[in-house]
Amino acid sequence: MLPLSLLKTAQSHPMLVELKNGETYNGHLVSCDSWMNINLRDVICTSKDGDRFWRMPECYIRGSTIKYLRIPDEVIDMVKEDAQAKSRNRTEMNKNRGGNASQNQRGGRPGGNRNNVGNRPGQGYGGPGNNAMRLGGAAGQGNRLPHAAKNRK
Amino acid sequence: MADKKVGGGNNDGKEKRRKESILDLSKYLEKQIRVKFAGGREASGILKGYDALLNLVLDNTVEYLRDSDEPYKLTETNRSLGLVVCRGTALVLICPQDGVESIANPFITQ
Repeated sequence: MLPLSLLKTAQSHPMLVELKNGETYNGHLVSCDSWMNINLRDVICTSKDGDRFWRMPECYIRGSTIKYLRIPDEVIDMVKEDAQAKSRNRTEMNKNRGGNASQNQRGGRPGGNRNNVGNRPGQGYGGPGNNAMRLGGAAGQGNRLPHAAKNRK
Repeated sequence: MADKKVGGGNNDGKEKRRKESILDLSKYLEKQIRVKFAGGREASGILKGYDALLNLVLDNTVEYLRDSDEPYKLTETNRSLGLVVCRGTALVLICPQDGVESIANPFITQ
């Protein structure tokens, strides 16, 4: 369960957002991005001391100023469905990527060898060590890396 | 950079842009907006321009002053700033000034 996928799932739901400065914003989430910047609609702003209130039709809040968000309980169930759908996609992609990974592995070997040559002076141990890690990475974790890159996008 | 979205340009997806902001500031152009800054300052002014980093150009800007001992409470006093550039990284909140009103406690208090 990723925080940002929960938040994304919570779009159009009501929520409470507390900022680092203590102000809270109650409103419906319109949109959010990977920085947790958010757009709210039909917002009620409450001052830090909790005794003054403002109504605003909409507002944009910078993600880096958010302390936390309270999200309705039912949203969590909807995320799970999303997650399952995603993991199904992921396994399919992994099947495809498996071929690529083995290609990468083959492609990686000459590079590793070149490294060995480069590390000749006094780094006999370090060279093969790095090489082994590299091959391990290509074979074992090759599938993960594209995902990490994809998620960051 | 050519692929950056700037100043109310209506980008119809011809050129690839890195990432579209979830905030479409073009709808606020020439309108009065309210901004809050990191540290607690608040101001409002007419949006004249903006960029992808959320730097803003505000005209006829008014800063709402605060008490020195209650830094988050606005006082009645204002300070006129005129034409300003707001640094995007310092912005905490942006909302249209239109429709912002002080209200009584809308939550049930028991």
